[in-house]
Amino acid sequence: MICRLTVNGTPWEGDVPPRLTLADLLRDHLQLTGTHLGCEQGVCGACTVLCDGEAVRSCLMLAVQADGRSLTTVEGLDADPDAAALRDALVAGRGLQCGFCTPGFLLSALALRRADPPVDPARVPELLAGNICRCTGYGPIVAAVRAWLG
Amino acid sequence: MARLDAGTAARLARGGGRYLADLRVPGCLEAAFVRSPLPHARVGAARFHDGRGLTAADLGLHPLVATGPGLAGAPWIPLGGGRARYVGEPLAVVWAADRYQAEDLVDAAQLELEPLPPDEPLHSQAPTGVLFETTLEGGDVDAALRAADLVLEGRFHCARQTPFPLETRGVLAHPDPGTGVLTVWTSTQIPDLVRAGLARCLGLPEARLRVRVPQVGGGFGVKAHLFAEEVAVAALALRLGQPVRWIEDRQEHLAASAHAHDAVVRLRVGVTREGRILGVDADLTADVGAYSIWPFSASLEPMTAASSLFGAYAVGALRCRTRARSSARCPVGAQRGVGVTVGVHATERMVDRIARRLSIDPLELRRRNAVPACPWTSPIGRALDSGDYPRLLATLAAAAGYDALRAEQHRARAAGRLLGVGLALFNEHSGTGTQDYRRRGIDTIPGWDQSRVRVPADGRIEVATSAADAGQGHADTYRLLAAEVLGVAPERVEVVEGDTDRCPPGTGTFTSRGAVGVLESLVQALRAAAATDLAPGTDIVRRADAEQVYPSGAHLAVVEVDPVGWRPRVLRYVAVEDCGTIIHPEVVAGQVRGGVAMGIGNVLLEEHAYDADGQIQTATLLDYLVPLATDIPEVELHHLTSPSPRTTLGSKGVGEAGTIGAFGAVANAVADAVAPLGAELDTLPYSPQRIFAAVERARAGLPPARPGQ
Repeated sequence: MICRLTVNGTPWEGDVPPRLTLADLLRDHLQLTGTHLGCEQGVCGACTVLCDGEAVRSCLMLAVQADGRSLTTVEGLDADPDAAALRDALVAGRGLQCGFCTPGFLLSALALRRADPPVDPARVPELLAGNICRCTGYGPIVAAVRAWLG
Repeated sequence: MARLDAGTAARLARGGGRYLADLRVPGCLEAAFVRSPLPHARVGAARFHDGRGLTAADLGLHPLVATGPGLAGAPWIPLGGGRARYVGEPLAVVWAADRYQAEDLVDAAQLELEPLPPDEPLHSQAPTGVLFETTLEGGDVDAALRAADLVLEGRFHCARQTPFPLETRGVLAHPDPGTGVLTVWTSTQIPDLVRAGLARCLGLPEARLRVRVPQVGGGFGVKAHLFAEEVAVAALALRLGQPVRWIEDRQEHLAASAHAHDAVVRLRVGVTREGRILGVDADLTADVGAYSIWPFSASLEPMTAASSLFGAYAVGALRCRTRARSSARCPVGAQRGVGVTVGVHATERMVDRIARRLSIDPLELRRRNAVPACPWTSPIGRALDSGDYPRLLATLAAAAGYDALRAEQHRARAAGRLLGVGLALFNEHSGTGTQDYRRRGIDTIPGWDQSRVRVPADGRIEVATSAADAGQGHADTYRLLAAEVLGVAPERVEVVEGDTDRCPPGTGTFTSRGAVGVLESLVQALRAAAATDLAPGTDIVRRADAEQVYPSGAHLAVVEVDPVGWRPRVLRYVAVEDCGTIIHPEVVAGQVRGGVAMGIGNVLLEEHAYDADGQIQTATLLDYLVPLATDIPEVELHHLTSPSPRTTLGSKGVGEAGTIGAFGAVANAVADAVAPLGAELDTLPYSPQRIFAAVERARAGLPPARPGQ
């Protein structure tokens, strides 16, 4: 099926198998391997990307469902100074160790930033409960996101 | 020391990490595995679509046998060798151009399976199912129990759990017809041991294999084994003469990577009326699943657990009869803290029980029994090199405001709240060396580590070690240390790990050896290099065979249990750790905080379950629960430093301590919270279901439940 979408501001068009997941389209067809697959069950959040500004699990969405949409992946954050600031804060605050979950956390946090009405920074732990980190114990991630939202 | 080089972290945060699934090799085929739907079966004829499938016999894979004192000599058999021994075991490999088509081939594959009765032994070498058995004993236990004013008994069960790194396993094998060398990229903590195992399974000289480790997305022990999928993908790539890769999915990981624990500890402890612990008689049975896992063998969990019992206490006599039993379940291997978590859970729960029985405050009881001074040798020969246990307790009490906490708990209970305070005092052995492995009956692990300092013609300084970073950050630590010792800019130093061609061979990265043996070899190599002019051509290799060292700690948790839904919540966590000399404070803090979080998950949430037919019930993340941001409080971290005399810098390792402490502190806090209701908890995880059941039993006047017996 023909699929047309915009990824990190750049239009893309291609013929994709109907069963191809959005994550595999990004990783294997567009070589955007910063989107990681941690469970392919929609639970761990590592594959989170923004689809028209909304956080989605790219492992549970088919590529063809993204037809006509605009996607943001971790590779697109350089273009957004606000997102880059969060990324830098996460690095400075040791909010990552192995780094596998980090792109997903960044995209989930970015969706929080754009929420209307604005989210209460006190609720950050529950708002990030859709992303799993096994290395850091979450403390440094929560602190960085709170400071950035605040 | 300077701040950690943020270069690696910044690259990872940009999505620039090259993990195994991100490697791109032209023409690479995708493998998938046909897995057993039955717990125990004989494998008959196999039919594959288009002939694109191979079994162990087709590939000519050799089994591996870990031998050593107490081991039955049951083999580890890649792809089962004609038998299936657990649900999810890989039995055949198929391949296609992409994963979607490969999974179609898995669906189309037909394997004739003849179910075998549950009482049929899994291994002819172990007809009774016992894969390992030994007794640790020191001092006169029977006399100690006779001399005691009372003997308390307990039975503690640690659930079957799994390390769960965010990145699953994966392997990419790439043959080079020109040189005849097969390069095997794999997400592992033990590149040299993988190469040694692969060579034996494939019947190839090690020189024909190069093992390389890409960026690794967490290991926590599970990536410290050789896996059937690594062997099969390597064999398939050789057979086809083409690159082949396999990326594990999460369902495969939960069902068929390696599990951990599933051990029952029975204790009889003799104490005086004043609360002095005189002797411990223990019995430990670990269900280690279908195989004696390679390279650690079936002795790993039971030996580690048994030797850690009452390790921080001055007990005069201790005996532990211990055994590993096989079952038609996923094999048990290493998980952060290995069996020490099992031993500390049983010990610390028992110490609290003694305190309650004697109406002595749990902190005071620990003061009376803690190892008074180091060095100290336990009755079973654990030679504690360093540590200050009384000071650990004093520091913890002051940092946590212990007396005020108890007063607050008193008020909370009066108001009807279920608030508990739990303590843990513990140590662990780390950096295990050659003699320790031989003594523990493990012949398959070298135990020594190596580092190499080389100056190539371009003037860079290349530091290569036998370790493999899985995200802990030790490579950055090594770079800074090298720069400091050699007096050069960190930018001039390149740390190379995880490549059997470029690194000196050794043991890999587990039991915190990155801060013990590997670090020791690195320090020796760096000091030798510093004595030279670092001219191009400099090439210095140093080997270290460390003696075990004993990091220690004292932790405190405050837990509140909701009296309606019975959900336990950790409100506060205080950790005092002593890992000896701290090489890098940020890495130490990250290891302890992350370790505590894993321990909280292990104690409150995580459990693999099988039904009566041997089917795994927990192959998704909706069934196997890992902790989320809402489950983990801030960890208040305090340090004590008693440098080890057994390492040059005095460091002792810190990878496991956070997890181990939580097995005592969190478990005791939950138990303390529901103690006023008469509920007894002894089976991990202390989930809402288990707490509810324990409370109901107490209300009905029944004795504690004995699940899993």
